[in-house]
Amino acid sequence: MYALHMEWTKLRTVATTGWWLLGLVACTVGLAAFVSSTVDAVNCAPRCDFDLPRLSLSGVYIGQIAAVALGALAVTTEYDTAMVRTTLAAYPRRGAVLAAKLAVVTVVVLGCAALGVLGSLAVARGILPGNGFTRANGYPPLSLGDRATLRAYLGTVLYLGLIAILSAGVGATLRNTAATVSMVLGMLYVLPIVIPFLPTGAWRDALYRYSPMSAGLTVQATRGLNALPIGPWPGLGVLAGYAGAAVLAGALLFRLRDA
Amino acid sequence: MTTRAAGEPSLPTMEPNIQVHQLHKRYGRTVAVDGLTFTVRPGQVTGFVGPNGAGKSTTMRVILGLDRPDTGTATIGGRPYRSLRTPLREVGTLLDAAAVHPGRRARDHLLWMAHSNGLPRSRVDTVLEMVGLTDVARRRAGGFSLGMRQRLGIAGALLGDPPVLMFDEPVNGLDPEGIRWIRNLLRSLAGQGRAIFVSSHLMSELEDTADHLIVVGRGRLIADTSVRDMLAAASGGRVVLRTKDRAAAMTRLANAGATVAATGPDELVIGGLPADRVVNLLSQAGVPFSEVAGHRASLEQAYMDLTRDSVEFSGAVKESR
Ligand SMILES: Nc1ncnc2c1ncn2[C@@H]1O[C@H](COP(=O)(O)OP(=O)(O)OP(=O)(O)O)[C@@H](O)[C@H]1O
Ligand SMILES: [Mg+2]
Repeated sequence: MYALHMEWTKLRTVATTGWWLLGLVACTVGLAAFVSSTVDAVNCAPRCDFDLPRLSLSGVYIGQIAAVALGALAVTTEYDTAMVRTTLAAYPRRGAVLAAKLAVVTVVVLGCAALGVLGSLAVARGILPGNGFTRANGYPPLSLGDRATLRAYLGTVLYLGLIAILSAGVGATLRNTAATVSMVLGMLYVLPIVIPFLPTGAWRDALYRYSPMSAGLTVQATRGLNALPIGPWPGLGVLAGYAGAAVLAGALLFRLRDA
Repeated sequence: MTTRAAGEPSLPTMEPNIQVHQLHKRYGRTVAVDGLTFTVRPGQVTGFVGPNGAGKSTTMRVILGLDRPDTGTATIGGRPYRSLRTPLREVGTLLDAAAVHPGRRARDHLLWMAHSNGLPRSRVDTVLEMVGLTDVARRRAGGFSLGMRQRLGIAGALLGDPPVLMFDEPVNGLDPEGIRWIRNLLRSLAGQGRAIFVSSHLMSELEDTADHLIVVGRGRLIADTSVRDMLAAASGGRVVLRTKDRAAAMTRLANAGATVAATGPDELVIGGLPADRVVNLLSQAGVPFSEVAGHRASLEQAYMDLTRDSVEFSGAVKESR
């Protein structure tokens, strides 16, 4: 319990935490508003084939950068200043320290992700009808009452939490803020940028399945699931696998290495 | 339940001390600590002195369980640091004054430390007051001067009111006023019966503060001695004499079997004869003299003599004398 209290106090007493959390919510909602306002039901006839819930969750593509930063910083700021020695002198059980860091940052990211995702839902519901996506035209408003939509929204919250965990795990391994953030952003963005340029086929599908971001965000899909290389929950599972491996490596090194 | 006689302590009281036994630690090919054994006792200031790179900081990190020794042990009151549940209540440390998050307020820095050991919030205000940082407690540590950071680090060490305190180069970079403040603090903490372990690469910094000295060089123990013994050994029982008639005094004393060296126009340092014999001999011979005193070697010189062979990074060009 002392470890949790310690890490919670650390997290809430630096201003950067607040800014990144604000960034997480603002980017998620802001991008949702932007994307919602760019789609128009008039341009596609007879019927638009958009995956509207997924469109409304586009903000995560940028918002996740904040989750990466928060997860990394929870661990790496301690190494930027050698403060980790103060921490471990105050609380020598290293497994508990890392677990407390993960718990605290994950809970905070999940909370803000939930806010961001609900904000996205609200702006999408506000903007989409104005662009022709009305019930009269055959587009019921986005609703968490719909099972697939609920899964997309809930899955996105979990996705952001897992991103923070992944980043913290890599942080415990690399012990450097810049290196950790570059590494995680590389892991996330490189494959999704490359994949569209590859010829369709088994190779491309395999890369999609192994890309933490492509596979992980499959959880947002509500239409054409059969055409996707991996299912929504298994896709999120791939990201969880990456996060788990990173935490395992980080925890092992954290326990073994000199501080 | 066992009943105890009145006055008997209810807990097996273990002397609050630091024990290091046969400690070895290397980093790659660098041997940082090479078989150190010593004990830091309560009620006194134990100075930990050695040239740069002698392994002082490494030893302290090993004591705190931050670095793992290759062989050997380090314990606090008989227990390894990593087994302490609320270590801040048992050992207070200042390793590196720069090890604070620059964006966190001084008070919040101490607050998370307090929370890590279940210490009450009131302790934070108490130690801020003790180190004189109350007025700047709400300022971010990033804007602190080196002296203020040292004080913040010391506040953190005092937070749990521990019986053992360990400071790595606490006066580094401080102004004379700050140095005097730390000296007085260390003295008074030792006076309260605590075990104080404080390192420096300069003997002069510890001369007036330490009771006991552990001198290291290249990771090895060079001396484990009280300051008084070290001074006595350094002065070697020699006597300093002031006389107008240097030549006559030298002849007379040399004839009596003493070793005599002229150290000034009217000053001699005499070895091999106690001061009262010197006085008798010169009086009988009618040689005038004004002052006879025990030779007070400086601790600094004694230390330099001890560590001469173990200075790791001595300049290629020897300074001219
Ligand atoms: N983490 C590390 N990795 C590699 N080498 C190290 C490490 N820490 C210390 N050393 C080396 O071990 C030796 C002892 O260093 P240490 O810092 O303990 O000396 P010190 O007595 O504290 O010196 P100073 O008076 O300069 O602070 C040095 O040669 C140093 O370069
Ligand atoms: Mg040092």
